[in-house]
Amino acid sequence: MSLDVYYFTEMPYHHIDDDLAEQWPSLRLTFPNSYFDPNKATDLFKRYLDEFQYAEESGFQGLMINEHHNTPSCMDVEVNITGGILARLTSKAKILMLGNMLPTSDNPPRLAEEIAMLDVISGGRIISGFVRGIGVESWANNTNPVYNRERFEECHDLIIKTWTTPGPFRWEGKHYQYRAVNPWMVPVQKPHPAGWVPGTGSPETVEWAVKHRYTYAAFLTELSRAKELFGSYREQAVQQGWEAGPDKFAFMICAHVNETDEKAQESGKAFMWRMGHPLKGPREYWAPPGYFSQAGVAANAARRQRPMNELSYEELQEHNHLIVGSPDTVIKKLRHIKEELGIGSLLLEAQGGPLSHEDTMRSIRLMGEEVIPALQD
Amino acid sequence: MVAFTEEMVDVGGTKVHTLKGGSGEPLLLLHGAGGNTGWLGFADALAEKYTVYYPSHPGYGKTDRPDWLETIPDMACFYTWYLESLGLEGVRTIGFSMGGWIASEITAMCNHSIGKLMLVGAAGVKPNDAEITDIFIISPAQVLDLMYHNPSQVPEYQQLYGTDLTPEQAIVAETNREMAVRLCWKPYMHDPRLTSLLQRVTIPARMVWGRNDAIVPVECGEIYKKAINGSDLVVIDNCGHSPQVEKPDEFVKTALDFLA
Repeated sequence: MSLDVYYFTEMPYHHIDDDLAEQWPSLRLTFPNSYFDPNKATDLFKRYLDEFQYAEESGFQGLMINEHHNTPSCMDVEVNITGGILARLTSKAKILMLGNMLPTSDNPPRLAEEIAMLDVISGGRIISGFVRGIGVESWANNTNPVYNRERFEECHDLIIKTWTTPGPFRWEGKHYQYRAVNPWMVPVQKPHPAGWVPGTGSPETVEWAVKHRYTYAAFLTELSRAKELFGSYREQAVQQGWEAGPDKFAFMICAHVNETDEKAQESGKAFMWRMGHPLKGPREYWAPPGYFSQAGVAANAARRQRPMNELSYEELQEHNHLIVGSPDTVIKKLRHIKEELGIGSLLLEAQGGPLSHEDTMRSIRLMGEEVIPALQD
Repeated sequence: MVAFTEEMVDVGGTKVHTLKGGSGEPLLLLHGAGGNTGWLGFADALAEKYTVYYPSHPGYGKTDRPDWLETIPDMACFYTWYLESLGLEGVRTIGFSMGGWIASEITAMCNHSIGKLMLVGAAGVKPNDAEITDIFIISPAQVLDLMYHNPSQVPEYQQLYGTDLTPEQAIVAETNREMAVRLCWKPYMHDPRLTSLLQRVTIPARMVWGRNDAIVPVECGEIYKKAINGSDLVVIDNCGHSPQVEKPDEFVKTALDFLA
């Protein structure tokens, strides 16, 4: 059974050391942007985009990008900008945007035409991920968290209608109203680019993914939790009269390969930056009042015993949040995950924190040469 | 202590949980963003002279949340209906914090619902110099830290905060907080139209503020005073955002003076 492997980085601005980070409640939302040096960021973007290109050349079937705001942990602030760059820099890899934050958008037809334009430029390589945005994004974009899910669903429905219904048409919804939806730009892929949705445990998200037959991507969850979520997806699909194949399941994990286990364990420590301060912050930042339903709160409580930022390097590896090793070691672990979960796509965050360009490129090469081919049987 | 009852007032199918006690002319109390405090000393003292109606707002406590109700002007419109349902008109009203905002929207919307208006640490208008503290982005414990100038002078502090919330109370508190977010997220805790609309208000109005209010600055009281013709502003020294709880005696005295 084949497996599509995606290369992913959040393109971190990692020039923030722990001593500085500790002076603030979080690296997210309110960490002062006076610590940002645009010239350093120019250099970082150059290398990160080179690394994306190299991942395609090395054999990754896809490239994944995401978006966050007010944080050094992710310099990608507009997934459609990066998507546009990759659409032109690459020629065959799928471009997985995971994704556009629907609830914070005030203009769904504009999103629809932007994604359509990327699909056109890339010749139909876009996968359109739809996300609610973590709690911090509600603050950063000042969008009422109480309406997050309502806006997510209405924004989605309008985007899909924009892609699939000949314009012009009117839309008089609760959160969005338009007189003439009729963007000139529509996608290459018909009826529309594949939809994906990430989740960390909200039962409503699984239900919604099943309803639309979208690929559900479990993000940094325990294997056992991902298994439960996928199981719930499969059951609901059967109840609705269809069978969910591996293409409906993706798993995201941090991964790093070096020539030997010893070298990998050393260079892989760079991921601890990503697992540390960027995951800290007051509860209100992550979960503004109203953002989670009661069911979502319960699911969150069940998700993990201890927050990831409290796990040691070794514990993160034991819990399969981070996989580090020689090609053989990593193949073994990823095969196990593939078989356990029955997934069709694996999303590897293979650059994280201050992992150097050299270590990143070597890791990408070894994944392309050894790991990805070994996962195809 | 004055006996009080709990009633469910039917407003177009929405059941409004209302504490009611005392005798005499009606007096409406509108609670703040955190929810109904329950029958505390200040309500009891006011009930010596008036029939106190102290409802939990739609979406709060045991009161239903109608789907259509999403803003403070919606809430004000709802309360004109509530008063009609009770057969009340020209009612003396005290609004606390967010409830003060609701009360002033009612007076700006309808000239016969409210007879005398008292606003206590009221949200609703945008200060020019300071800011209204963002109570959504900080924790409930941090909000409590800012609530009182000196917690040791709050007579009912132990009764209010002395024990941990039960799981049921925690759900109510979270639901109340969610309702406040629904109503007041953006523009945060104010209505840009309000000062202009308040020019039509001709009823007697008094603002009461704690000098040390760390949630809604006293400046907002001054803005209200300027906006409502003939109104006055009473500032209570060494007092935070909730004079009715932190300095109940002074509060009740100024309230009864005004309402008489």
